[in-house]
Amino acid sequence: MGAYRHFPILMITIPLLCAVLMPFLGYLRQKWVAWAALIPLASSTILGFLLIGKVPPDGYISYHLGNWAPPWGIEVRVDFMGLFLMLVVCCISFLALVFSRRYIEREVSGGRLTAYYVLFLLMSGAMLGFVATGDIFNLFVFMEILALSSYALVAITGNRNAVRAAFKYVLMGAPSSIMVLLAIGFLYSATGTLNMADLAGRIAESGYSEVLIVSFILFVIGFGVKAALFPLHMWLPDAHSIAPSPISALLSGLLVEVGAFAILRITFSVFTTSADNLMAGTLDAVSIFAAAAVLYGGIMAIMQKDLKMMIAYSTVSHIGYIFLGITAFTREGLAGAMYHMLDHGLAKACLFLCAGCFIYMKGYRRIDELKGAWRQMPWTCFAFALASISVIGIPPTAGFISKFYLIYGNFTSQRWPYALVLLVGAILAAVYCFRVIYYMFFQPGKEGAWEENTRDAAPSMLTPIWILSLGTLFFGVFSGLIIDSLLKAAQYLL
Amino acid sequence: MRLLHNYHYIVAMLLFCIGLYTVIVRRNIIKKLIGLNIMETSVFLFYISLGYLEGGIAPIRVGGADPSRMVNPIPQALILTGIVVAVSVTALALALVILLYRQYGTLDVDRLFRDEEVEEETAEEKEGTA
Repeated sequence: MGAYRHFPILMITIPLLCAVLMPFLGYLRQKWVAWAALIPLASSTILGFLLIGKVPPDGYISYHLGNWAPPWGIEVRVDFMGLFLMLVVCCISFLALVFSRRYIEREVSGGRLTAYYVLFLLMSGAMLGFVATGDIFNLFVFMEILALSSYALVAITGNRNAVRAAFKYVLMGAPSSIMVLLAIGFLYSATGTLNMADLAGRIAESGYSEVLIVSFILFVIGFGVKAALFPLHMWLPDAHSIAPSPISALLSGLLVEVGAFAILRITFSVFTTSADNLMAGTLDAVSIFAAAAVLYGGIMAIMQKDLKMMIAYSTVSHIGYIFLGITAFTREGLAGAMYHMLDHGLAKACLFLCAGCFIYMKGYRRIDELKGAWRQMPWTCFAFALASISVIGIPPTAGFISKFYLIYGNFTSQRWPYALVLLVGAILAAVYCFRVIYYMFFQPGKEGAWEENTRDAAPSMLTPIWILSLGTLFFGVFSGLIIDSLLKAAQYLL
Repeated sequence: MRLLHNYHYIVAMLLFCIGLYTVIVRRNIIKKLIGLNIMETSVFLFYISLGYLEGGIAPIRVGGADPSRMVNPIPQALILTGIVVAVSVTALALALVILLYRQYGTLDVDRLFRDEEVEEETAEEKEGTA
């Protein structure tokens, strides 16, 4: 064991610690904060990349905080899927932060600008911790840090609609957190331990009991709100469309996926497949709701007039995809769900940042205002088109790979109605994405909507967008780099 | 009799349901937040009663104290964290309520969200006339 076994905990603590130090810097040198905030996320990203290859697909690295052995102390446990999602979190939040330097100066000012970066770092650090922790109470603590910082970030501009959306989010998020806390209490009362691996062993031993079922249902409801699973998604369209665009990218590209990953963790690492009689009914219900989410999200996205609202409803639909992959209980379904977290993160973050570009340059939010946009803002429009293609799932992009594995995984477990729903979801995605692309490229702009001298967004905004959209292409063409290991990791979990 | 013996669990669940009912049904947002706090308190009560022992002693192992009579310290430690979280959520939610009241002049949820529909309609009308 080399120095790298400390890397996971460093990846979590560096952003959290720097977030605490940021107000002091903001007090001394306000201008430096935007640049200084990049450092902790960059170092987390680098540490994450150094860990690649150190975590085998069928193993994990475990770090004992304070050197207390796991059942008593807190454990940080990074398995292959955890590392994969941590890297996605690091990279996308870093790119969103690069984008936000210019963008956010216009929306907030003064002390709130520092607060924005503090909350941003808290949120990314909490997401990393949420994915990596091996202790179930620690999971709750990180979830609360994540939730509190995201409530505040949605409301950061302080205007009427933002505050109302944030309050709606609090009203759904806070009871769901309490449900998770109650579920942890039930688990603790039934087993007497809080470590996930230990819990898995004891649940497999004790087998069926009512307390465990109630606990699992409460977990699914609690994390379901965080992940915006269909009937619990009401906070999402408002919060995602009204938040500043980099924050929408973070909420939509990462937060909901991290919530879905928590359910994956609870299902496969705590309750484990040896106790699947416990989970069967609940997971059947989850798959029905997920299928409803795919259709509902797609149809609502088609009906939207506001661009960010449309992307937000598309997220509702794609969360359904991820849950259908998780509940298929097959190797391919699970690997597809994980890969979907990657490409959905990249594509959604890219779409929201593009929408942010339109708002920043022209103040245009509605879809029909984007007619003829490509003549003036070609780079933004082409990146938007590329990311949309990945959202639909057309071959050379990563969206195709993940959708293929999701559908394949559902077929191999004889769940062909769900596989059919996934195909219909792709058609709906094609409808709402091509509508925007049609407006952008093939419609003449309204008179006076685009003056001749409108320029494209600044390079510091375009670079993150293009890295994200080329990322969807890269992970589509070179999917073999990851998908084999993901399949092995899924096999190990099942 | 076992049910009566475990009355603290029943009280905790009852409080949880009262809190959830308040959050969902009440129209005043301050009352919703009070309901939220009742929910939180019920979960704290549940945890603390998990570790409680009739006539138990503090879990300090000096002087050969009998471990079987000690109160379980873990739920208490967890709930200390839980209380901190609950306080921060309440503080943040109250700050949002202040902002909401300043900008909408109402604490009624129905009026807060009816306002939204009216705004959308007027926006559409404006577009129609233009």
